[in-house]
Amino acid sequence: MTGQLKELIRKEMLIVLRDRQTIMLLFLMPVALIFFLSLAMEGVWTDKLTGRKIQLVVKNESASFKAKLLEQKIKADPAIQALDRPDQDNDLILADGKTQLVVTIPEGFETGNHPVELYFEPAIDAGYKIAARSLITSLAVEVVMDIDNLEAVMQALIVEKTKPNRELPTPLQQTVPAYAIFAMFFISIPLSIGFLKEKNDGTLQRLFTYPVSTHLITLGKIIPYYIINILQFILMLLVGVFIMQHFISHAFYLGEHPWQMIPVTLAVAAATTGFGVMIAAVGRTQEQASTLAAVSAVLMAVFGGIMVPHAVLPAVLKKAAVISPMYWAHQAYLDIFLRAAPFSGVAPKLIVLTIFAVICFYIAGRRVKWI
Amino acid sequence: MNALDISAVTYSYGNKAANALNNFSMSVAPGSMHALVGPNGAGKSTLMRVITGQFRSYAGRVTIYGRTMPDRDTLLSIGYAPQPISVYTGLTAMENLLFFGAMAGMPKTRAASRAQEVLEQTGLADHARQLVSTYSGGMQRRLNLAVALLHSPLLLLLDEPTVGIDPQSRYHIYETLTALNAAGMTVLLSTHIMEEAQRLCRAVTLADKGTVIYDGPMSEIDNLERFFLEKTGRGLRDD
Repeated sequence: MTGQLKELIRKEMLIVLRDRQTIMLLFLMPVALIFFLSLAMEGVWTDKLTGRKIQLVVKNESASFKAKLLEQKIKADPAIQALDRPDQDNDLILADGKTQLVVTIPEGFETGNHPVELYFEPAIDAGYKIAARSLITSLAVEVVMDIDNLEAVMQALIVEKTKPNRELPTPLQQTVPAYAIFAMFFISIPLSIGFLKEKNDGTLQRLFTYPVSTHLITLGKIIPYYIINILQFILMLLVGVFIMQHFISHAFYLGEHPWQMIPVTLAVAAATTGFGVMIAAVGRTQEQASTLAAVSAVLMAVFGGIMVPHAVLPAVLKKAAVISPMYWAHQAYLDIFLRAAPFSGVAPKLIVLTIFAVICFYIAGRRVKWI
Repeated sequence: MNALDISAVTYSYGNKAANALNNFSMSVAPGSMHALVGPNGAGKSTLMRVITGQFRSYAGRVTIYGRTMPDRDTLLSIGYAPQPISVYTGLTAMENLLFFGAMAGMPKTRAASRAQEVLEQTGLADHARQLVSTYSGGMQRRLNLAVALLHSPLLLLLDEPTVGIDPQSRYHIYETLTALNAAGMTVLLSTHIMEEAQRLCRAVTLADKGTVIYDGPMSEIDNLERFFLEKTGRGLRDD
């Protein structure tokens, strides 16, 4: 019996791993997605996480001491990158895209009657606009009220306690688990196609003419794909940790409890294999099964915070995300990589994934027609 | 004791009103080569699947060398080559044979030596390490037969073993079957090809619409095709 199971697993693994399309779908596609989308997201993340420098042009129309001091403070601020002012009208400077902000210190600024003027490019990001206004306001207050360092004064009033990067993952923290999960759910395509192909060409029926139990044949179908799922995650992790660091500024951080990846990956692989078995059982043709699998996986990814980080989804989609098993899988990994959650924090997500797997296997068991 | 006894077997596919097999009875003597002939819808493939234990919810009785089916151990007395070429095209011929050998519970070394023998028997020894997806139709059909022979069954069930292949492969299969039968293997051959059945088999069962309409020695039939048309009619059977 063990020998038969071993051969069933070996046969399935050989067939799957020899198929170039399957290799591309299960291994190359997620690696490519991780590579390109991490790079694409890096620019956005740089803004959000490290605070890209505010690029602006300063136009000082006053020769007063305070105006010069404000100009100096603006240009010296570490959050600001002051650009040389082109010999152009403000509107033209903004229209040319050289900067998104022109700061004009008018004549008579020191009297308090002529405020500093901020010319924003109309399509500027709202968060960037608020940050720039807040910074220029602080510097103007320092100059006008003769405060040397307003931020030091404010630290007595406001203390920031937020732990860094606990809500928004870095590009790699987002993409590595996200596209590993995405690809793991795509296992349903080769699994269902393989099952239906065996039904159509009679090899499955032929197996039943040997003294092999249905349970063994079932295990012989499930175990190989479960193993492949785990291999997929390991490969994505290796790409994230060892390869992507050469292409991206934020290295992949595994968190404080990386061992938790083991139970999480086992639970995710159970959910993805269960989903694949269910698709194989309900699909009537190979075309129907592959379409159903692909469409379901993409929809689960859209809702589950795979395509766009859950943290930045609108409120309605954030609530809808709970219907996607990919959401629970991704959040479980983010608990490890991002939030340093204890196992008790990860466990509820594992329970949801396990329930999803059990439901899928149950439906498959009820619907499957071996012959 | 007959190699195969089928007694009053009735089987119905759940979604169809008529029975696929209706009170079907026939016997195959040990050491014989027996033809099972009938038009489309006669129930030949259904009968094969009943004998091999794929369909179990039937009425009646099937015995193989005196043992009532379905029975796990008795399955090993049967070698079955289904009508569709039921081998894994993503594996080599040798890998297919070793896999099915394991399914038959054969030790690895025994399966390997038998695999070599059946590959030689079916003219595939030179292509043993080639992926089956690169095989021609005739080669795949011969591998389909090789798999059925691997575990040295007493009773060989062949469902249209020569359909869709070139004359050379067909001739090779005929030669192989004749040699196996001469060596004592019992063969039940389901076929559409009358000339094939008449040339190879000593007994014939003619079936139509799930029932037996003739069961007897081939020697009593002068021209099987004419006999077949007389018994089953000349109307088309497209359903």
